[in-house]
Parts: sequence; structure tokens; C-alpha cells
Amino acid sequence: MTPLMSSLACVMALAQAFFLWRGKMHILKEGLLLFGFFCISCVFTLLVGSPDDPQIEHYPLRMLALCLCFSTTSLPRYRRRYLVMAQAFWLWVELFGGIALAYRGIEFAWARSLAIFLLCCSSTLLSRISKEMEFCLMVFWIAIWILF
Amino acid sequence: MDRREFIKWCSLLAVGSMLGGCRKLPFMGDAAKKDLPSLKMFEAEVRRAMSKPSHRMELVRVPMPGRLKTLGASLENRFGMAIDLDACDGCGKCILACIQENNIPLVTEDEAAKGRFMHWIEMRGGVPFMCAHCGNAPCERACPTGAANHTPDGLSAMMYKRCTGSRYCGANCPEHARKFNFNDAVQQGLSLKFNDKVPVRSKGVMEKCSLCLHRLQDDRLEVKTAGGVWRGRGVNTACAEACPKKAIVFGNWLDPDSPLVKVARRRDLYAPADLAGLDPSIVYMMGGK
Amino acid sequence: MVRILFIVFLCLLVPGLASMGYSLWQGPAAWSVDTGVFWGLPISLFVFWIGLAHAGTLISAIFLVLDVKMERRTSILAELATLCALVVAVIFPLMHLGVIQNFYMVAPYMESRGSMANVCSPLVWDFCCILAYGLLSVVYLVVHVLADKSAVAASIHRPLAWLLFPMVLWVHTIVSLDFAATFVPAWRGAFFPIYFIVGAVFSGLAMVNIMLCAEGYRMRQLEKLMLVGSWFLGAFLLWDFALKGNLSVTVLVFAVLLPQLMFVSAVRESTLGRVLVSSSIIVGLLLERVFLVFPSGVVGFGWVDLGLICFGFGLFGVIFLVARLKLSRVIEGEEVLMGEVEETVPKRPATGRFSYFAPLTTPEFRMLRFPLLLGIIACTLFLVWVVGCLEENGIAFSDANLVPLTCPIITTVAGIVLCLRPLVMHIGKVGGVVMVALAALLGVLAGMVYGGVTSVPSGAVVSSTGDMLDVGTLPDSTSTLDSVAIIRTKAVFEARCAGCHGADGRLNEKFVREYYPVPQNLDISRMDALGEDSLVNVILNGRTNMNPYAGRISPQMARGLVRYMRLLAETPAADNAARNEGGDE
Repeated sequence: MTPLMSSLACVMALAQAFFLWRGKMHILKEGLLLFGFFCISCVFTLLVGSPDDPQIEHYPLRMLALCLCFSTTSLPRYRRRYLVMAQAFWLWVELFGGIALAYRGIEFAWARSLAIFLLCCSSTLLSRISKEMEFCLMVFWIAIWILF
Repeated sequence: MDRREFIKWCSLLAVGSMLGGCRKLPFMGDAAKKDLPSLKMFEAEVRRAMSKPSHRMELVRVPMPGRLKTLGASLENRFGMAIDLDACDGCGKCILACIQENNIPLVTEDEAAKGRFMHWIEMRGGVPFMCAHCGNAPCERACPTGAANHTPDGLSAMMYKRCTGSRYCGANCPEHARKFNFNDAVQQGLSLKFNDKVPVRSKGVMEKCSLCLHRLQDDRLEVKTAGGVWRGRGVNTACAEACPKKAIVFGNWLDPDSPLVKVARRRDLYAPADLAGLDPSIVYMMGGK
Repeated sequence: MVRILFIVFLCLLVPGLASMGYSLWQGPAAWSVDTGVFWGLPISLFVFWIGLAHAGTLISAIFLVLDVKMERRTSILAELATLCALVVAVIFPLMHLGVIQNFYMVAPYMESRGSMANVCSPLVWDFCCILAYGLLSVVYLVVHVLADKSAVAASIHRPLAWLLFPMVLWVHTIVSLDFAATFVPAWRGAFFPIYFIVGAVFSGLAMVNIMLCAEGYRMRQLEKLMLVGSWFLGAFLLWDFALKGNLSVTVLVFAVLLPQLMFVSAVRESTLGRVLVSSSIIVGLLLERVFLVFPSGVVGFGWVDLGLICFGFGLFGVIFLVARLKLSRVIEGEEVLMGEVEETVPKRPATGRFSYFAPLTTPEFRMLRFPLLLGIIACTLFLVWVVGCLEENGIAFSDANLVPLTCPIITTVAGIVLCLRPLVMHIGKVGGVVMVALAALLGVLAGMVYGGVTSVPSGAVVSSTGDMLDVGTLPDSTSTLDSVAIIRTKAVFEARCAGCHGADGRLNEKFVREYYPVPQNLDISRMDALGEDSLVNVILNGRTNMNPYAGRISPQMARGLVRYMRLLAETPAADNAARNEGGDE
């Protein structure tokens, strides 16, 4: 995955997050949206990634996790809880995907997992989340996505 | 029928069917022990296994095996073999020699029909194949109990006593070199103890080529008692001894005087494609003299 | 109705028991096993049942955590199903083993023989996770049942749910790693953890829906969630297909396409329709697991395999029904057991629940912080110990391999600590005695595992030259060896013992790993503590670490060897080296 394409994936996740949790919550509606986003991410990964690279295996899930992280900033309530949970999901995907890949000789991305873990832990300390804090969090996530 | 009665009948039925499942249990004992097999039967089984259709493995070039990268590996020894495919004509004498050296049991008719032979060496498209004793063995990484382990001398060894038979190692071996003891070979009269020095494996245990570990151990014990540096020079495996064309060469990859290194240095070395990245100790030689 | 169901399940269980008994007797040859990976139906069934086992806890824990209200009867039912499915699930990996009585060797717990389970293996993670999960599920159900009557139990209900929530997901993730962390081409997939979780939750939802139908009420939210689950499962199946090119159409039809019938109101509104759709999901997911475990195609499915499937369903049904009837007083609404009642979602309380908590001040957190801290400390200590053991034994490992062990340890310790306070408050004297007895039993068990059992050499006694060597005239027990005897004993020691114990009696470090079990280090204090007679006994009859040598060396020789070992232990290593060199000349 080239840096350009991974930035594109990040932008896609951001765009997808815009559509989530708008208006009244319906399980079917949100489920359908997430399912659609996941499918789009899969197609995107197939088009962009090289089929020989095992790291594409969990790439759509990573995109979905990032999208969920972004989307939590627009939630009306329980923001901190869902923020932490979305990041935990991301960590989950990275951590266990990494362990599975480590068996096949791909180096475990300690820096990325650790960064998400730290961000996840520190966001439990957040008090009321202001607009500035939302922006900061997004910048952090994008930084983790692109830099590590 | 009241509830009590109902439950009683149900439990009786359950016990009955459980016993039905274990129908051999009451008739067990020495009477069930069958006669020992003859050598002829082993020969017939080898022929049968060799006639089984198999495709040739895809071989790729590999460099000469070097020092092991594992923790606590020996600096002096890494045992292995090279099989000269230009000389080998696939006669299968190595298989029989291996059976006699390592007390490999026969299999039942059912197992044979499924192609589940216990032979540590098998012919894959006329090429003898056995466990390659990978330096970075996937089977050892998967084994939950630590029964499959690596010796400092580069053997992928088995502790039969510690094996719990999860067969995870077998699943994880890309070439399926491991064999599982589906039967109690002694009980069913499938085993003949050719060699006293090698234990007969019990039912439910994984096994595979040990690179004639017992021979190495004997030699090591002798040399160490005399106080010398052990390089395993006097040792040879059963298959290498039995090969009429001298196509199998056993030796120590880290010993420049070893016959293995002397021969392999002049040849092109190959390994099965899916083992090539795992640092195998047993390689194939072709071309380049 | 209940009686009919009971008889149906018994009809499944009884032939199932026959095939189970046959499998246990015959071993893995009884059922069909994939020729490539050596695995068969028990593993598929394990994954299937453990998936169902997660559903109950997951559904009630997640809903509790997410503040989605479920009626108590639904959630208790789901938790009960969890436990029953877990009982069924643990049977299958056990019966899958070739040597069932060795299963405890999978526990990452050092034995005195010095062999350690390989913590890099996903099966070890599996073992720990399932153990921890089973324990906590029982605790959770008990707390839930008691929560109605006792305020203390109610107070730890939510914290426990928070503990269980990650644990449930963790367990199934680890189950997925059994497959994903291998070299089998068909099992490759870094997406497997989430894929398995989705499959587990999905099958669990289907199971809970079937149970609700049997109980005669419904919960629309669960049905909607089930639909969403089917879409995601479909997406994962297609993604798997895109990566590896294998797709099972049957699974796709049963688990993904047929559930879409829920959009048809005639199907959705009839109990039979809901049951049929849910059953098709269950069948689809069972098939999915079967196809997963047989990468090179399912061949030779026999009566034993079918019997094992029946066994699973029958056992689950019977246990569940019995437990359900026993608990019917606790599960409210017994009188409407078979009536058609809509699940009524209680109105959310307008205040209180939504009150804002500053970071780290929620009541759950206050309850959990101390147990969690203890859990993390225990986990850290354990990991440090494990790393030490691994390094001592020279086993290669990577740090990432230790991560999967953290959650079960932390959760178990935290869960136990969390429950201790209410437990102490609740139980009387008798309970206390039982508790202490249980703890003692656990300690004894741990000690037994640590001590190991006597090992008998497999196969016949290895005979080699020099049977029944004798030291000649051995002096009486008070005096030490004379010089002739020393030379003879030394020869025997070096022929028989030096391979493991080293020529200088200080373990042949490099060589011991080729042997199993790892021999003891015989230093002087240890030898004095054991005494000469008991050491002679060990040499002749064997012990955990030793094979018996009676018949191969005489008792007199054994006594001579013990004295020789003492001699070696008394002299410093340098002297021994000098003596060895002198001896060789």
C-alpha cells in the first residue's frame, strides 16, 4: 500500500464517518451503512493493494475501525465511552491481525498498536469533549494511520 | 410413566448405548493381541505406499544451510542430509531401512486405503521425502506442550511422553511430513520391534523422521565420555546406509570435513518450495558437479 | 411441549453417546480426519459451540454495557444457554486429543520436570481463555440470578459485565488465531479475529431467537441485529473468496441469503418462520465451520461424525432444559412459558442513567479499579516468570506471543477479587468451610500437576552392553568408596548417567533438552536432604524425571553411584574437570 493510497483510505474513512449516526438511531439503517462501508473498503483494498501482500487481509477492517473512531466524535451522548470502544476495536484489529501475520514472518507493528493503546487509555481521562479536543483526536488518529 | 421412571429408563439407555459404543472393551486382553507381523508384510506395505499416485514436489534453489538462528544453538553441529536426485532412482530401500531402524508400525487396511501410512520417508513423485528439520520449524511453534522442540544440534525432536496428540504440528507443517499414530500398533499386532534402542510410539502420538537421533546420542555419549569435541563424524543414518546408489549423504553442516559439506559444496541445492523459507536442514542436490 | 422437546433431545443424545463412546475408545481414527491437517469434526464442533457459548454472555453483557435494556428472562435464558453450550464446547477439543490424559500439559504451568508448555502456541492461549471464561460465566450467571434478592450481588453485576465484555471477544479471537496463526493456506487471514467474532455473535443471536420462540415471546431488536449479522457474515465470506478463491455456496445460501426472508412480513411475524430462519443460520454456520476445518474437502463422513453432531445438540438440549426447569422460579413469567407475549422494552429512566460522570469516577470503575490493579499485577508477575522459564530453557519466543495470555489472567484475578467481598458477606460458616476446602483442593491439584506423575519408559527396556554391572565388593554403608570401586563406578556413571547429569554431575546443560524429562540438578544440599536410600530407590525404580534402572544395574551399583554423585557434588567443578582429565590419561 503506497502512502498516497493509504492517505486516500484515510480520507474515505473520514467521508464515511460523516454519514453515521445521523438523526434517530435505527439498527437496520446503521447496520446497512456500516455493511456498505465495509464492502466499499474491501473493493478499494482489492483495487489498490497488491494481492501478494498479506497486510491487505485486514486492511478493510482497519479502515472500518478508523471510520468508527471518526464517527464517534459526532455522537450526542456517551461520547467518551464509545470513543474508547471504537479505539479499542481498532486496537483489536491491529493487535490480533498483527499476531496472525507475525506467524507468517511479517513484523509486528508495535509502534502503531502502542500508539493506539496509549491514545485509547488517555482518552478515558477526557472530561467533556470540546470541539478543539475532537479536532485534536482526529489529528492524532490520522497521524497514527499515516505515520506508523 | 412418571418422571422418576422416565429418568431411570433414559439413564439406562444412555449407559447401554455408551457400552455399545465401547463394544470392544469387555473382550479386551491378551487374547486380542495378534501375531507379530513378518518382514514380508512391511515390504508389501512399502510397495503399496510407493504405488500410491503422488506428484513431484516443486523444488527451488536454496543456499547451503548454515548456523541455526535459534536460542542456544550449537556453534559446532547442525546435522542434516542432502539427497542426490541425479543418483536416486526411487527404489524405496531407504523406506524399508527406516522402518527397521525406527520400529515404524504397519497400518490397518482402513488406514492404508486412506493413504495414511506411518513411513517416515515417503516417495513423492519418485523423490524420497522426510521431515526437513527446518531451522525455523512451524510445527514446533504450534506445539502446545513443547513436545516438538529443537535440539541445539539442529534436530527437530519429539518428546513422545509429552505429546498430547492435538495434531496442531501436523496441521502446521506445509509438507505434511508428520505422522499420527491412529492405532495402538502393539495391541493390534502391527508393530515389530526391529531395534531395541528406539521406543515404539504409543497411540495418539505424533512422530516423524528423527534423523536417527539415537545413533547420534550413542555416538555423543561415547565421545563425551572420552572427553573429545563431538562433531558426529562416525554417525550415519539408516536410510543413508541403505541407499544402494549412495544418494543420501548424512553429515554436519557446520563441519567442513563432513562428507555432507564436501559433496554439497560442489552441487546446486534445492528444497521444496514451501519449506525453502524455513531454513531446512535436509536438502536435495541436482546438477553442478 | 417441554416433554416433547426433552424426548427429541434425548433421541439425539442417546445415539450421540454411542458414537462419543466409540470415538473415545477408538481415538481420532474413529471419525473422518482431513488428510492434510489431521483435524476433523470435533474442532468444527468446538468452534461452533464455543461461538454459541459466547452469544449469551455477549448479548447480555453488551446490552448491559451499552445501556440497551433487555428483559431479565431473555438475558438469563441467554446466559444459561451460554453455560450449557460451553459445557458441550469443552468436550470436543478434549476428545480431539490423541492422548486425552495429557491435556493438562497444555497449561502454562511449570512442572518440576522443568518442561514448560509452549506459550507461543495458540492452543495454550485457547486453554487459558476457555478456563477463565468458563469460570467467569458461572460467576456471572450466579450473580445475575442473585441480583434480584441481594443488593450486594446487584452492585457487582454491572462491573462484572464490564469485565466479561472484553473477555468474551478475547476468547473467540483466540479461537480464530488457532487457524489464522498457522501455515495452512486455507486458514490464512489477518481478518479472522473479527470474522470469527461476527460468526459467533450471529449464531448466538440465532440460537437466542430460537429459544425465545420456544418460550413464546420475541424481541425485535435481536431479530434486526441478526439481519445485520447476516450481511456482515456475507461480506466476510466474499472477502475470504476474494483473497483465497474458495467459497462455499451452501454456507452463503443458508447463513446469508435465507435470513433475508426476514424482510417478508409473513415469515417475520410467524413463530415457525422465525424458527426456520434461525435454524437455517445455525445450519449454515455449522457447515461453515466444517468446511473451514477441512481445507482439502470433506470426505468419508461416517456415522460417528453424524453421531457427534447429534451428541452436541442432544447434550446441549438436555442440559439446557433441565437447568431451565430448575431455574423456572428465577426466570420470571413462568406462567406465560408457552404463550405469545411481546417482549416489552422497559422505558429508560429519564434521569440518573444519563447523569454525567467525570473521567474515572463511574461507580463501576470505583468497584473495578482495585480488582483490576491486582489482576494486572498478577499478570505482570506471571509474565515475568514465564519469560524467565522460557529463557532458562532456551525456547525462542516473541513478545507478541505473550499478549494473548494477558486478558484471561487479568480478568480471572479481577473477577475473583471482585466477588470475594460479597461472597464473604453472604456465606455462613458452612460455606466458609466449603470455600477453604475448595481452595485447599485446588492447591493440592496444582501441587500434583507441579510434581507430575511417574513416567515409565515407552516400549521395552533399552538393553545395551554391560547389563547388571557390579562394583564388585562394595564396602558396608558406613565407609566411602575405595579407589578401585571409584574407577568402576565412574565408568558406569559416565556410560549411564553422564548423558543427562553431566560427567561432573552438574547437568549436561547442552544435552538435557534432547531428553525428556529434564533431569534434576544434584547439588550437595539436595542430596543430603533426600538421603542415600531414597536416591538408590530413585535410581532403581525411577521417579518423575528418571527412568527405572532396576534390572539394568544392581542395587549395590546404584548405592555406589549415589556415593559417587556425592563425591562429585562435594568437589568443586574445577577439581572435577582436573579429575576427568587425569582419568583419561
